Amino acid sequence: MKVSITVNKINYTIEVDEETSLLNVIRNHLNLTGTKNGCSQGHCGACTVVMNNKAVKSCLIKPKKYNNTQITTIEGIQTGFKLHPIQEAFVQKNAVQCGFCTPGFIMELFALFSNELTASKKRIEEVLEDHLCRCTGYLPIIEAALLAQRLIQR
Amino acid sequence: MDYKYVGKPFPRADAFEKVTGTAEYIDDLRFPRTLYVKVLRAGVPHALIKSIDCTLAESSTGVIKVLTGKSKIFENHKLIGTCIFDQPPIASEKVRHTGEVIAAVIAHTEKQAKEAVNKITVDYEELPAVFDPLEAIAPNAPLIHEKNGDYTHLPTFQPIPSTNIFFKYNLKKGNFTNVFEGADVCVEDDFEYPLMNHAAIEPHGAIVYWDLTGEIHLWSSSQAPFILREVLAHLFDLEMNKIHIHIPNYLGGGFGGKSDYTIEPLLAYIGKTVPGNYVKWILTREEVFKGTVLGRGMKGHMKIGAKKDGTLVGIEAQLYFSDGAYGDTSCNIVLAAGHNCAGPYFFSNCNLKSFGIYTNTPPVGAFRGYGHPEGQFMIERLMEKLAHKLGIDSNQLRFHNFLKPGQTNSLGQTIAEHNGDIRKCFTLMTDALETIPLPKEESKYIFGRGVSALVKSPVQAANASSSVMLKFNEDLTVNLSIGGIELGQGNRTVLAQIAAEKLQIPVQRIRINPEINTQLSPYEWQTVASMSTMRIGNAIIDAAEKAIMQFKVNASIVFDCDPDGLIYNGIKVSNENQSIPLERLVLGYQYPDGHTVGDPVFSTGSSVVRNVTLPDLESGKYHPYEWTFGSQGVDVRINKETGEVKVLHVVTVLDVGQVINPETAKGQIMGGVLQGIGASLMEKIEFDEKGEMITKNLHRYRIPSISDMPKYTCIFVENPQPNGPFGCRPMAEHPIIGPPPAIMNAIQNATGISINKLPATPQKVLKGLEKQRLA
Repeated sequence: MKVSITVNKINYTIEVDEETSLLNVIRNHLNLTGTKNGCSQGHCGACTVVMNNKAVKSCLIKPKKYNNTQITTIEGIQTGFKLHPIQEAFVQKNAVQCGFCTPGFIMELFALFSNELTASKKRIEEVLEDHLCRCTGYLPIIEAALLAQRLIQR
Repeated sequence: MDYKYVGKPFPRADAFEKVTGTAEYIDDLRFPRTLYVKVLRAGVPHALIKSIDCTLAESSTGVIKVLTGKSKIFENHKLIGTCIFDQPPIASEKVRHTGEVIAAVIAHTEKQAKEAVNKITVDYEELPAVFDPLEAIAPNAPLIHEKNGDYTHLPTFQPIPSTNIFFKYNLKKGNFTNVFEGADVCVEDDFEYPLMNHAAIEPHGAIVYWDLTGEIHLWSSSQAPFILREVLAHLFDLEMNKIHIHIPNYLGGGFGGKSDYTIEPLLAYIGKTVPGNYVKWILTREEVFKGTVLGRGMKGHMKIGAKKDGTLVGIEAQLYFSDGAYGDTSCNIVLAAGHNCAGPYFFSNCNLKSFGIYTNTPPVGAFRGYGHPEGQFMIERLMEKLAHKLGIDSNQLRFHNFLKPGQTNSLGQTIAEHNGDIRKCFTLMTDALETIPLPKEESKYIFGRGVSALVKSPVQAANASSSVMLKFNEDLTVNLSIGGIELGQGNRTVLAQIAAEKLQIPVQRIRINPEINTQLSPYEWQTVASMSTMRIGNAIIDAAEKAIMQFKVNASIVFDCDPDGLIYNGIKVSNENQSIPLERLVLGYQYPDGHTVGDPVFSTGSSVVRNVTLPDLESGKYHPYEWTFGSQGVDVRINKETGEVKVLHVVTVLDVGQVINPETAKGQIMGGVLQGIGASLMEKIEFDEKGEMITKNLHRYRIPSISDMPKYTCIFVENPQPNGPFGCRPMAEHPIIGPPPAIMNAIQNATGISINKLPATPQKVLKGLEKQRLA
């Protein structure tokens, strides 16, 4: 089937089969490899992107759902050499170790702060709950989220 | 010590790439002429292969080749190994675990390969299987390797033919035949540390390309490029300079699960059937669980004895490791656990036995902690039990028995002042815990506090080494090439700080080359055992000293003096009368007429671990590397209705010698602690009655998420390590060791329930609580 999709403000029309996940389109059709595949089962959150202003696990999204949608991936949030405040906060707070889960966390927060900029710490922890990180112990990620919130508000 | 760059929280050198999604991992690499591999795994734990029918698969769309153990490429194959050579690249006669590969398909797309794999049918003669190490050594247990005893192995192996025991270790110290002579009180227990998975968020992957001259190029998500080179050289009779092992700039976590080798040898065979093409194999999450290596998997019994005043006398232990279908990657874990299970305590008498046992599970490999979490879980639980029996405070009991400088550890090695201060670590930990109020019992919750102490030595080849190349550029920036892998630990940040300190130039002017290619990169044994900072750091110091000397030699020619009398300060080389800026020396010194003296500044450095020996077969004694001491304490909250345990706070104190970067060091502690909480409360690989793995995804095999996070207190003690760069010593695996015993001690202190079989699931705790209500 043919699907139309806008990714990071660029329109694409792509031929896919019914089983082709949004993750597959992003990584293999569009070569946007910043979005990571950790499990293909919706358990780890590494493949999170923003679809129509909502964070989704792209490995679980099939063509019928992503056809005619607006997608933002990790590649779509910085401006040239300038980092997005969420990215900047992850650097400052040392919220990165191996980095494989990082784009997923950042995109989850990107969606959250687009919709609820003043989200409470509890709410932040709630939306990050189904993102797995095996390296950091999570604390620096939460600290980065809180810093990002302040940087965006500024 | 006051340093300019060492001990400072410099930001991570790799953070920018990682937050922008531009950091490249194995699955992000793109090559021309790329084909894809999918494999068929056994699906039965122990069976003889009667026949494999690939007819339908071969004619499936897009298929290029279907390979089985009978294919020509595997004719007269060698066995894979580095310590014991017991593993075929693919199963041909027999399968020994459900994840073992029995057929592989190469196709134009991953999807086509997968469809073809589904069309392969296999006829097995199933054999009785065994998953438990104690059952595997019982009389009449199914024999997993008929050839056990015949395999080529290092001299330190003592396999027992016609059994499933491929490795045994016995450490004897003092009165080992009558270990408890003179003891007034003894305590003992059975323990279990289950099989686990590393669960790095990046699945394993590799890409192979045999070029048409017969050289092999392999990219892998590996912690061990030079081990891969050694293994492939052996399997294919290739000269090492014809092997190109590349590691992508980044690995998405390893924790030991990507060390040694996993899928690479088989992929090398597969790729050789389609030379000139790039062949890519990225594992699914299920394959990571079933088709790489697992971790831990110990059942053990330990007994300790003490005098009435609490002075420890002797220790006896038997550790049985369920090491899966092949033994090569686990043997040294068996060894490490065998001698380190005595913990940071002085015992006059030791009789410690540790066994590596074949079972019908995926093979076991390195996992953060490497034998130490298993062994020290036992001793730290028994110290608590002993204290209770003696009526002594358990903290006092520990303090009384901690290894003192001048005393010998289980191996008979004398502990020195410079090995670090376990007493200070323990005191700082208990002091920190005391500042945290422990809530009082309420209707739903009961609270508990528990502690543990730890000691660890890095386990590595006795000749493990690191080499580096240091290139000074004309603008006085530095490029450093290393063979160590960045897998999250932050080596490029920390190693640049070490180089900056030694060279006295700003850390921003030092760049660690991220590319690893065995053709160009200096040798590195492998990136394991918490050794990057120490071993590569020492190699960098060696290279830096040589570079500084080269600057001095260049200046000495101009000054016509002895280079040893000159002073280098990162800006210029000088003596009392004159100086030359480094810019004018870096490519040699050029006189106004153009003629040049001296040489460009370019140096190499290396570091070999010294005084590490191999175990003596009779006594079990040997010299491992240096020691790191530490202590951990926890507060837990137990839900009396559900049995759920929440770890509220973890205090970790490590004597790290010297902190190089407090932020990355704290990162290692927090991550390690949370992995330790996972081991304590939730992580366990389970099989159904047919031997199929149940916990084969990240839902069934749950690892800690944000709601499992405790508050972290991280404290560093700094007693410098004389042979460490700026005094630092290994610390990265260590925080995973203490949480399981400390948490079980806390549960017991709060409820009286004794849990010695990990993990402490809500069901287990609830059962204990109910039992007590009835009692």
